[in-house]
Amino acid sequence: MAADDIRLAIGIRVADDIVRARQAGRDAARTLGFSLTDQTRLATAISEITRNALHYGGGGQCEIKGGQVAGERLIDVVVTDAGPGIPDVAKAMTPGFSTGNSLGMGLSGASKLVDSLSVDTRPGMTQVAMRMHRRVVG
Amino acid sequence: MKSLAEVLRDNRAAVLASWRANLTASVDGLVGSEETIVNLYERLLDGFSRSLTNSLNDLSFGPISAYMAVLSSERARDGFSPSATSRLLAAFKAAVEPVLRAEYASDVDRWQQELRKVGEIVDQLSVLTFEAYMKAREEVIARQSHAMLEISTPALRIWEDIILMPLIGVIDTSRAQHVMEQLLLAISANEARVAILDVTGVPIIDTRVALHLTKVVQAARMLGAEIVVTGISPEAAQTLVRLDVDLSSIRTRGSLRAGFSEALRVLKRRVGTID
Repeated sequence: MAADDIRLAIGIRVADDIVRARQAGRDAARTLGFSLTDQTRLATAISEITRNALHYGGGGQCEIKGGQVAGERLIDVVVTDAGPGIPDVAKAMTPGFSTGNSLGMGLSGASKLVDSLSVDTRPGMTQVAMRMHRRVVG
Repeated sequence: MKSLAEVLRDNRAAVLASWRANLTASVDGLVGSEETIVNLYERLLDGFSRSLTNSLNDLSFGPISAYMAVLSSERARDGFSPSATSRLLAAFKAAVEPVLRAEYASDVDRWQQELRKVGEIVDQLSVLTFEAYMKAREEVIARQSHAMLEISTPALRIWEDIILMPLIGVIDTSRAQHVMEQLLLAISANEARVAILDVTGVPIIDTRVALHLTKVVQAARMLGAEIVVTGISPEAAQTLVRLDVDLSSIRTRGSLRAGFSEALRVLKRRVGTID
């Protein structure tokens, strides 16, 4: 297995695409042998981040890459939108902070669901990269 | 020399007979009724006799376009494939060709010109057939998803003062709104004091779904009913904790059975055995 056994890109334009993206993420995690809990975590994180991309960024793209390297299986999810950008990332990462009509747990929650999450944002482009990796046992 | 429309008019019986024969010989047998063929023929004839261009957008082809669109969407509903409908037109073209060849035998240019005209119109009608078919199918899909919305959220009265609503599938904003309405209506109609919302069939519980649940609970409380949410899977529970979603204001139970006993507890009731 190589680092990019799974390589998918899903356009995020309507609410249904959020469902497609998270199902794809769940399937990818299952294929790579992640546990049921990890599959659910990843799917939920993708659900949160793609919804943000659609709601605040006006849509974008969700790329899922996964594979196994050096005794580790990993999944990278990159969600990109061409929206106005996040003015204050630190604030957006604060639990409970929301400019929309929501719980304000999306971005902060997603960062806790995956192993690492980074945000690259400027006016016209926001990119959230998430990674989940597990050591292969045995 | 006769015009195309005149040729079609004068050879009406022959073209219709050969059209019918072509259809009978085609793979799926007779794909159009006698009435359909005659109606199509009349409209095509009318179109060719008044048209100035070879485009279906020519006003004179309005009646045939409209007829074809209706025919195609009706046949879509009856389960015909769009290919079967467009074969109807191909059979017409095949029936006209020999008649044109005989008529314009002395003038090859004219023959080519009229043949092209028939070909272009038939091709454009075929495209229209496919478009109408797609549109009809899309309408069917839209109607079905609407129907699914209606049937997917039944509110069942399972005990005195207790109603149950099993949620199945993706909870998007429109579904959540529907769930809210149905549940509140059922609570008020049954004067229910406890409503069990079972989320076993909800694939992902993210912050959006949690927000919808919280709102339903708040609204139900205003009507004097407690909500018990059941069927949260162990994975979903771990995920919700990670997400920092606080559902402590909501009564939750793992299984529907546990939720039902919680409902009875709220009502201070007990189910016992008969002595």
